Formats: sequence, structure tokens, C-alpha cells
Amino acid sequence: MGSPLKPPDGNWWNQPINRRESIWLGLGAVWSMILFGWMSIWTREGDQNPIGRTYRVTEEEFREKIEAYKEAADETDDGIVPPGDEVYIAGLRYGWDGLPVVLEAGREYDLHLGAYDVQHGFSVRPEETLSKQINLQILPGYEWVVPMTFDEPGTYQVICNEFCGVGHRSMHGTFVVEEGDG
Amino acid sequence: MTWLFDNEYDDEGFRRCGVTGLDVHRSVENHAKLFGLTAVVALLFGGIFAFTVAMTRWEVIGLLPAEDFYIHLSLHAWNLLIFWMIFTEIAILYVGGPMVLGRKLPFTSLAKIGWGTMVAGAVAVNYSIITTSAPDEAPLLTSYAPLPSSPLFYAGVIVFLLGTTIAALPFFVTLWRERKRRTGSLPLVTFGAFVTSIIAVEAILGGLVTFSYALAWRLELIATIDAALYRQLYWIVGHGSQQINLVAMITVWYFLTHVVGGAEIVSEKVSRTAFILYLFFINMGAAHHLLSDPAVTTGWRIFNTSYAFYGATFASLIHAFAIPAGIEAGRRKRGKGGGLFGWLTSAPWKNPVFSSVVFSIILFGFLGGITGVLMGQLQLNMAWHNTLATVGHFHATVVLGTTVAFMGLLYFLIRTMFMRRLAFPRLAAAQPYFYAGTMSIATLMLMYVGILYGVPRRTSEVVENIPGTEFSLAAAAPLFSVFGIFALLAVLGGVLFLVIALASLIVGERIESPEDNADLLPDGGAHGTAIDAVDEDDPVHAYEMRGTFVLCLVFMATFVVAYVLNWYLLSQLWSIGA
Ligand code: HEM
Ligand SMILES: [Cu+2]
Ligand SMILES: [Cu+2]
Repeated sequence: MGSPLKPPDGNWWNQPINRRESIWLGLGAVWSMILFGWMSIWTREGDQNPIGRTYRVTEEEFREKIEAYKEAADETDDGIVPPGDEVYIAGLRYGWDGLPVVLEAGREYDLHLGAYDVQHGFSVRPEETLSKQINLQILPGYEWVVPMTFDEPGTYQVICNEFCGVGHRSMHGTFVVEEGDG
Repeated sequence: MTWLFDNEYDDEGFRRCGVTGLDVHRSVENHAKLFGLTAVVALLFGGIFAFTVAMTRWEVIGLLPAEDFYIHLSLHAWNLLIFWMIFTEIAILYVGGPMVLGRKLPFTSLAKIGWGTMVAGAVAVNYSIITTSAPDEAPLLTSYAPLPSSPLFYAGVIVFLLGTTIAALPFFVTLWRERKRRTGSLPLVTFGAFVTSIIAVEAILGGLVTFSYALAWRLELIATIDAALYRQLYWIVGHGSQQINLVAMITVWYFLTHVVGGAEIVSEKVSRTAFILYLFFINMGAAHHLLSDPAVTTGWRIFNTSYAFYGATFASLIHAFAIPAGIEAGRRKRGKGGGLFGWLTSAPWKNPVFSSVVFSIILFGFLGGITGVLMGQLQLNMAWHNTLATVGHFHATVVLGTTVAFMGLLYFLIRTMFMRRLAFPRLAAAQPYFYAGTMSIATLMLMYVGILYGVPRRTSEVVENIPGTEFSLAAAAPLFSVFGIFALLAVLGGVLFLVIALASLIVGERIESPEDNADLLPDGGAHGTAIDAVDEDDPVHAYEMRGTFVLCLVFMATFVVAYVLNWYLLSQLWSIGA
């Protein structure tokens, strides 16, 4: 025992372990299980999970879906009012097709997120409370359906936070969340 | 440059190192020096862009326009994260393998060819980044397809990876021959270097596949590239190379805490088991980077990000105890450890090798390790992903952890292999404090602006202004000013390191006799005696580890508090996901 520069001598495997080191090993093992357990439980019990169905789509297919969606939707001064619970948003250099969109607070929508060209970052926060923010990766070729329920009315700002080209910094959009009926 | 390679050796080409007691062969020493020096060049070059990048992100200064910013950021990432680290790591393989084992470096021509190939690859990567033009975009670190990078970029990376493989071959041959020569276990440092090299092989294979795929697409040999597949492949090398940095750093921790701090291994069994856990689990973590991605299943993300039930995190917790415990028990054994923390207060804090290594251990753990586990939780990742908090996390690991440890290692190499006294010794003693201190604050600020204000990474404008909207993240401006000032100071700390290192090499006083290096030894003791003595009746595991235990409990408490706070913040969000 001793030097890390010499081969360990004797029967090093059977050398006893210091009591405090053993306690620490136990603590570490327990903590590792807690970390794992909490994360898995939250996927079932928690309200915030980066989980949704994913479909492969080509750029053309996704463009067509968004066109059809916009046909069915109301265009107002504040933005698109979706016809139902489905909301379509596509990232493109350098903007968000489908934003601004007007939603109701407290109502669950299915956000269909995708991209026409390259990877983008979907980063959302209410204008008033910047610390409440979430970030999802958006990939071309994939349509990701993520349910979302905005609980408070207000303007939610979207900025792209994956580098998508020199104009990346100007890529932004908004959700206008209005008081719900119910 | 020959004056850097002119130590005196015996007829067989060996010399006995007065500090480590190792029998050092000329071939090992000279090649380790070659790679070490090349690494310093990369550090210098990449460091220039730390300045320009940080001064652009501090929008009060707003140094660069967007077009230049991404090019500078790419150069920063590749020269520091890849070239500075990997050239150093090849030197570590040579030290940890043949030097520790007291052998020659076999096939020195391979080492030279590998070096030349790596340099060619690195030059090509730099050239391709600097000359980026439409339709290509600056690659940044990740070159996320389908955003195109220059074909020369992908090719340069492939060449660099091949060069790394060639340069590692002499290390593998050494181990192979050692196996045949004798039975029994390898020294712990060699074992650590071996685990590093296996992880490196996995990473390099992943890298060759990734960049060949991207190159084939860029040259239009294949029509399309799948963004999700590219990300999964890319992170095999992107994440794997970070694990190389980690394991190499931990190997350096064991090595230097022993040589300059008097640490001993308190349990070979425990420390080696931790390395084995790394071997099996740490390379899994590639999905860390895909937690907020659409195209990976939830089960795989959870299993993978937890390295199969936190196998690798557990391994890191083991080292977190074993290394300080080694210092504590080792120093108590030499009578240097009264009370709870006497072993620490009496340690050689003025020796920059020692202080660098200790700061690396502490800061890596508290700032890098904890945040890594936090952002590696599936759901918490949504709050960290692509924000500056992520950048804060990995500057805590690769700068405060690995770079600081490697700086300590280079000080050590200057003293014991280049045989030079450090120029400006007082400045050298202060440099680790200054660099680690200022960089810690800069890093914490990155974490805060990322988590509390959602400031994105990889953008040149967002706090003062977002083109085309009234909205901006102006609330983060005060913290950014703190960041800017401390980033500037940290850059200065890096410059200090380079000035001291280069001045020592060029004009440093030569070390003529072993006594000149006696101050490097723990408590100035002569080598070959106390530090290496193995006394069966006085086993090191029987010494008190109270101080370490207390420090580890403080660490655990910090971990738990940070964990709870992050989950609290997340639970305040609106409801997201199925
Ligand atoms: C004084 C020292 C340093 C400062 C002030 C600094 C500052 C920064 C900043 C502000 C960014 C984020 C830019 C952005 O995302 O918009 C960044 C990115 C980065 N830095 Fe550093 N850095 C330093 C040293 C280092 C070192 C030593 C390494 C590697 C060992 C490193 C590796 C990276 C990497 C990999 C990125 C990410 C590039 C990307 O997004 O592709 N940095 N640095
Ligand atoms: Cu974008
Ligand atoms: Cu973007």
C-alpha cells in the first residue's frame, strides 16, 4: 500500500478499508440510488418532463401540415388562434413559423415542434419571470409533440438557443397567453 | 530548441529522477516534452479567443460582430478543449506508462509520426475555421449537421483523430510488453492511464464514424444526413473525450498529490474499483447531451444519463474521498497532521504544483461535478440545456478541473523534466490562486445568468438587444458585468501561467543537482525514503481520516442543497410533457 507509482505489493485486495471510507461508500451508493429513483418517479408523477411522441417528417410534409393548420386557424392582430388543441411551430433560419400564437391559460395544448432547415433551440420564458424558462432541442426531420399547459396569462418569449447560422441571434417569437374561459 | 532536450543520461539512456525516484529513459522524456510543449502552444492560441469571446458576451464591450464571433468561438473550443487537452494527454500516457514503469518508449518513430499527424490535423481544423465562407458556417465545437462546415474541417478532425491513435500506440505496446514480462498489478497511475486510453479508443472510433458520415454528406456522396443520428454519434466522441479529460485528470491527481503532497493510496481496492466503474459506465453518458432531444426514447435517456444507475457518479464519489484521504493519511503518517485539518494547513501551499492540484480537486467537485449531475437529470436538463449555465458547468470541469490540474502538471514537468527553476517564483506561487479564484467567479456567473435569466449560449447579442424585438434579457446585465470583469482577470491569470512557463523554459535557471529540487518534495524530505517506504506494520488505512470525512460531508450537503433548489425551480414551471 502507498505509492501510486509502484505496483501494489502483497495481497492488496484483502487489505481492510478504513471505517470512515466505508461509511462514505455507503452514503455514495444511497445517494446514487436516490438520484436515479427521483428522476424516474418524476417521469410518472411530475409535471415537467421533456417527453412526447416523435414522428419522422420531411421538410415538405411539415410545411404542408403547418399550411393546413394555418388555413384552419384564425389570424388576429395578436397572432394565430389555433382551431383546436393542436399548435404547430417550425423553426427556420431565422424565425418561427406559427408564432406568435394566442393560447388560453390553463388549457392543455399539444405543441408540434419541428424545423424546416437546420437544428434550432426552443427556449421559452414568461416575459415577467425570466427564471422560469425551459429549453428543448428542435431537429429537422422530426416532429415532436410536447403537451404544454401555460398556467399564467402573459407574454411568453421564445428565443432560439441553438446556433443556426450567422443571423441566429435575431430568431425570436412569442406566445400570447390569455385568461382562459374556465 | 535542442537546449530543451539535453538532460544527462547514463550509457543506457536512463537517469534517476531526484523527485519521483523513477528511472527515466531519454526516449520517454523527450517525447513527453514534445507533446507537452505543443499543448502549451494550443493553450496560448485558444486562450486568445477566451478574451475575444468573453468580451463579446459581455455586451457592454460587445467586441466582435456576429460573423466573427462564431469563428472565434470555434477556435476557442477546438484549440482549448481538443488540442490543448489531447496533446497533454498523450504526454500523460507516456509518463503514466513507460516512465512510471521505468521503460524505454518503444517505436519512437510512431510517436513522431503521430505527433506530426496530429499537428497536421490541428492546423487543418484551424485553417478551415478561419477561412469559413458560405454556404458553410463556423462549426463551433459540435458542427451540428445539417448546418454545413467546410469539408476540410471534417477531414482535419479525422486526421487529428488518426494521429492521436498512432501517438497512443507506443503506450499500448509498453503495456503489452509489461504484461508479458511480469505478473502482478500495474502501479495505480499506470492503471489510470490505461483506463484513460481504453476510453480514448472508444471515443476515437466514435469520432471517426461521426466525421466520416458528415464528410460523406458534405461531399455529397450521400444525399441526406439525419440530425438525430449525427447528434448521437457526435456525442460518443464529444462526451467520450470529456471522459478522457476526467480520467487523465484523476490520474494526475493521484500522481501529484503523492509526489508533492506526500499522499498515499489508502485502499488500492477501492481506488481501482472506481477506475473499473469508469471503464464500464462512463462512456455511456453520451445521451447527457440528448436529454432535451425529440428523437431518443425516455427509457434510454434515463438509463444512459444515469450511467446505468449512477455507476460512474458513484465512482467519482469514491475518488472524492480516496484522494483527500490519501493526503490526510499520508501526511498524518509522517507526523504532519495534528487535529482535524492539520494535515491540510501544514501542506505545501506555496508550491504551485500542489496548490493547482488541490484547487482542481475541490473546484472540479463542488462546481463541476455537482452541476454535471444536476443538468444530467432528464427533467432538470430542460432548465440548463443550451443556456450559459451549461457553459458554466463545463468551464468548471475542463477549466477549473482539468486545465488547472494540467497547469500544475506542466509546472512539475518544467521543474523535473526540463530541469528549470520557475521564473518569477513568487508570481508562480500566486498564479494558481489568482487563476482558480477569478475563474471560479466567472464560472459561477455563467451558471447564474443561465439558470436565473435563461441567457442562451452561442449568441453574440441577447442581453442588451435582440434584433427585431423590444424584448431582451436586460435583467441579467449586472451579473454579466461581474462575469466580464472576472473573465478578464481569469484571462490575465492564464497569461501569467504562459509567461511563467515560457520564461522558465527560455531563461529559467538550470537545475543542476537533486538538492535544487528538494523544495518540491513533501516537507523537503529526501526521496527514496519516507515517501516510498512501505511498512506492513504501519498500514496507511489505519490512520485517521476525520478531516476528509468532514470535507466530504460538507460536499454532500452542498450537493443535496443544490439538488433540492434546482428541483424546486423546475417544479415552479408550467406543466410540460407527457
Ligand atoms: C479565462 C478562461 C476562459 C474564459 C473567460 C472562457 C469563456 C468562454 C465563454 C464566455 C464561452 C461561451 C460563449 C458562448 O457560448 O456564447 C466559452 C465557450 C467555450 N469554452 Fe471557454 N473560456 C475560458 C477557457 C476555456 C478553456 C481552458 C477551455 C477548454 C479547456 C474552454 C472551452 C470552451 C468550450 C468547449 C466552449 C464551447 C464552445 C461551443 O459552444 O461550441 N474555455 N468560453
Ligand atoms: Cu434557430
Ligand atoms: Cu438559432
